[in-house]
Amino acid sequence: MNVSVDRAKCDNHGQCTFSAPTVFRLNEQGILEYDEKVDDSLRADVDEAADVCPMQAIIVTD
Amino acid sequence: MSTEIDVPYLYISDPSFAMHSEAVREARERHWYANTNYGFAVLRHEYVSTLLKDTRLSQGSGKWPDHNGVHSGLFYDWWTKCLLVLEGEDHHRIRRLLNPAFSFRHIEAYVPRFEQLATELVDAIIDRGEFEYVHDFAEPYATRVLCILTGIPESEWPTIARISSSIGLALGVTIKDDLPEIDNALAELYGYAEALIVDRQASPRDDLVTRLVEANRAGDSLSDDELRNALCLLIFGGMDTTRNQLGLGMQTMMQNPDQWELLAQRPELARNAVEEVMRMNPTTTWVTREAMVDFDYEDLHAPAGSTVHFFTQVSGTDPAAYPNPGMDITAERAPHYGFGGGMHHCLGHFVARMDMTIALRTLSQRMTNIRVSGVDEWMPDSGNTGPVYLPLAFDKR
Repeated sequence: MNVSVDRAKCDNHGQCTFSAPTVFRLNEQGILEYDEKVDDSLRADVDEAADVCPMQAIIVTD
Repeated sequence: MSTEIDVPYLYISDPSFAMHSEAVREARERHWYANTNYGFAVLRHEYVSTLLKDTRLSQGSGKWPDHNGVHSGLFYDWWTKCLLVLEGEDHHRIRRLLNPAFSFRHIEAYVPRFEQLATELVDAIIDRGEFEYVHDFAEPYATRVLCILTGIPESEWPTIARISSSIGLALGVTIKDDLPEIDNALAELYGYAEALIVDRQASPRDDLVTRLVEANRAGDSLSDDELRNALCLLIFGGMDTTRNQLGLGMQTMMQNPDQWELLAQRPELARNAVEEVMRMNPTTTWVTREAMVDFDYEDLHAPAGSTVHFFTQVSGTDPAAYPNPGMDITAERAPHYGFGGGMHHCLGHFVARMDMTIALRTLSQRMTNIRVSGVDEWMPDSGNTGPVYLPLAFDKR
């Protein structure tokens, strides 16, 4: 699956890092970094990350 | 050569201290933070946005009971284990298990119930031409929303409101004197929460409590104690804040009658109106953090253990982030921090956003020319604020 984050919306709260810690992480400056190509075995975690994002900034596509 | 920086000073414990004041605006213009009689206060939007999420700062409320002479008891045990004050992996685990039940798509399903509730409350006063906003609308609305969410019968809302106010005394400096009342109220709330958990474990439903009971990540789930603690936090954290924010929302709308009329004509702007209200007039006027280590940022040196406040209303009206800071419910704005931020970002914000959107939309559809019609009474402008008593008159639309 493909993951993208709308940087105009993302505010680096980091809630996604709790749902899918291997896909989303905050760097030392507190800025979100993430993998754009993710194995489908992580679909449930990534969907949860998108669901719980306070800014609704995460887009997941097949 | 070092430059001497003239850091402003604010005495924030003064009962007359006001966030919406020239002194605070002037301090924000002079420097990005101020020294106060109780820690540091970050004033500018850019700095609030960055530092609120800094992991060297912890949530900071965990030691509140200890700082005020309370070291044991039911409230103490609950508070020191509740999500609000947890840090690190203990926090992340619970937060992750709770988050999905509060996601937008689950909360959206409650819209028809919230609309029905708002309409019922407005119907009850619409022919009177006047009402007391806190007791006739904001408090029953905020409390019954929580009843709807948790499945507590709505008819029991006065009991839930009383329990919530009693536990709320724990946030005051008189916590030690009020402790018997606080502990009794929490025991009563435990009773409600435990009964809900037992019921949903036996008979699952399509509702929030069932989703929490069934929450499971990689074989990990919430224990009965963790579930009870979370439900109590939901009620404690969701009721007073929503009631107060609805009161502040009405205040801001009354100060901007053109925006109220625009909202009445374009109800789809209600969601944006909530954002504007929270940006300009948040109930949580500051969000508190504590430096876990010596915390240095530019010229700020906050020794380990010191308190750092993030002033939400002040940063929400910072002209550097909002060139036209006046209310405009059609504007696209930088985010405000009325729900805090970072890993402790408000868990229930989708609920609050949704229920306040419906409240403002419903009220604006039915009332115009709303004005204060008696002597109003307000909480002090520090920490959490809002109206205690707000008598209003209006014309029926």
